[in-house]
Amino acid sequence: MSLIDWNKLTITEPPVLPRELLRNFKKGIDGAFRDFSRTYGEALENFFNPLLMFLKWFQDLLVATPWPIILLIIGGLSWIGSRSWKMSVGAVLAFVAIGWMDMWEDTMATLAIVSVATLLCIAIGIPIGIWMSRSDRAQRIITPVLDVMQTIPSFVYLIPVVMLLGIGKVPGLLAVMIYASPPIIRLTNLGIRLVDAEVLEAADAFGSNYRQKLFQVQIPLALPNIFAGVNQTIMMSLSMVVIAAMIGVPGLGVPVLRAVSNQYLALGLMNGLAIVAIAIIFDRVSQAYGKRLQKHREGDHGV
Amino acid sequence: MIKKSLTNLAIAATLATAGTAAFADCGDVQIAEMNWASAELMANVDKIILENGYGCNVELVPGATMTSFASMNEKGQPDVAPELWINAVRDPLNAAMDEGRLHSTNAGPITQLGEGWWVTPAFQAAHPELDTVVKILERPDLFPDAEDSSKGAFVGCPAGWGCQLANANLFRAFDMEAKGWTLVDPGSAAGLDGSIAKAGDRGENWFGYYWSPTAMVGKYGLIPVDFGVPFAGTDNWDGCIVKAEQDCADPQASAWTVSEVHTIITDSLKNKGGIAVDYLEARTYPGPIMNAMLVYMGEEQAGGEDAAIEFLMQHEDLWSSWVSADAAAKIKAGL
Repeated sequence: MSLIDWNKLTITEPPVLPRELLRNFKKGIDGAFRDFSRTYGEALENFFNPLLMFLKWFQDLLVATPWPIILLIIGGLSWIGSRSWKMSVGAVLAFVAIGWMDMWEDTMATLAIVSVATLLCIAIGIPIGIWMSRSDRAQRIITPVLDVMQTIPSFVYLIPVVMLLGIGKVPGLLAVMIYASPPIIRLTNLGIRLVDAEVLEAADAFGSNYRQKLFQVQIPLALPNIFAGVNQTIMMSLSMVVIAAMIGVPGLGVPVLRAVSNQYLALGLMNGLAIVAIAIIFDRVSQAYGKRLQKHREGDHGV
Repeated sequence: MIKKSLTNLAIAATLATAGTAAFADCGDVQIAEMNWASAELMANVDKIILENGYGCNVELVPGATMTSFASMNEKGQPDVAPELWINAVRDPLNAAMDEGRLHSTNAGPITQLGEGWWVTPAFQAAHPELDTVVKILERPDLFPDAEDSSKGAFVGCPAGWGCQLANANLFRAFDMEAKGWTLVDPGSAAGLDGSIAKAGDRGENWFGYYWSPTAMVGKYGLIPVDFGVPFAGTDNWDGCIVKAEQDCADPQASAWTVSEVHTIITDSLKNKGGIAVDYLEARTYPGPIMNAMLVYMGEEQAGGEDAAIEFLMQHEDLWSSWVSADAAAKIKAGL
């Protein structure tokens, strides 16, 4: 069978696979994936079950915690991060407003999935970033993978993830992580590669071994960049909240979807603004923390 | 604006058919080809059967529920709407039928159609005794929820769809929370389909909301479950079940409201049509066959015409019972 449908080929129509062949090709992929899902789906689900239980436990914990304590934690974390009273008070007021507008429970669900997603991205992303910075070959292989993860439309991988793991929190978490983990990997890699060669030479001169160089020189000096990566990862996981809601992840995305399909202007706006409020708080606090790290380092080295 | 475009449509249609009249037995027939898969298939099957079997001169007119109905009602064109969903046009249709402008020739061109609660075939095979919703509700343990296996998962409608309210209110009406069920929001059509695909592919139990005729029902062989309670009246349904929770204080357990689909024809076709009308009265697609055809259309990306030919090739024993033996032979020769 010819690989080009010669009947269709004209000056305006590019060469195209014969319809039959193209269809069989697509069917073959679908069939292979279905077989894979039948064979390994159950095992994969069991593998991710502890994660699901943890997510559920964490969300239940957040919802069940008395609101004054949550406000206290929010204010406290903002203070630790930014050392600014304005920031802390603003964060607490934003959460009071969210509660007042009856979005507390959805907000806690969103916080749960975003914070777990961020922590997992950091736990997986920093080691990969370090590996990339040590090996040019790893960088060559991983960079295009990260490009794909960031640009491929999320709807494309939502379907296979749902067919493998069903609807709910774990597939949602995976979708969020696919989109949100590249920045932390990229910026960890970049930060370590940007550490001055002279500083490393000095470290060598003092007789540091590989481990000392990595953990006591390179990573500390790369921290501002790594923190920019953490910040970006948080922002990107928040931006996935609505898409995650499309596969049954509870949170602020659900009312947004409901608003979209029913033209409820106020409902959509309020929940959208709640996502924005969380994003701004996380962004300002983590940026302020990153800046403080940088200042501290600059002072240390007398630059 | 709408009226103008309808007039243009009618003029264009008249011009198009004017040249090729006369020699046919049953004359010119215009069939509305609605813009969804099952209606496309039906319109094309009607076209082939009427042309080849009865010598009609058929033209397909693209349309949608509201536009085709308005044109039939106001202009008497097109002549046939093979699959008209009544709920959307009930009042004006009743008026037109009372005045004799439109007639229903077939009150159920597709069987087993409508919304409701469905299970996967694997579940039915394993538990044939649980054949109504009321009986299934006693066994939440057979549909463990992924997040809390002590509860049964009932997959409802995606957030924001009209059926979400109906499902949530029925969930309350059947007292499902107390019986150990949780109402799962699949988030979107893709989420709902994905959850069915996952269960169907792996032979797992699945219990939730869906509708027919659809390719999903055909592909995974979903089985509609009898509710085990009668329809509890339109007051309960329209006044409570389809409303938001705060407007429906006391929902009554009820079967799903019946979706009515008719084949509607104009008065002029009824008068001149003769055998063509007899055919339209007789043709009834069993739901499973229609769903299988929708699967075929989806998988092969077949349009209405390709699917109609496939249907006529595959299901001769079905369609030959709709037509006379003479016509059946002619249609078969035409393929």
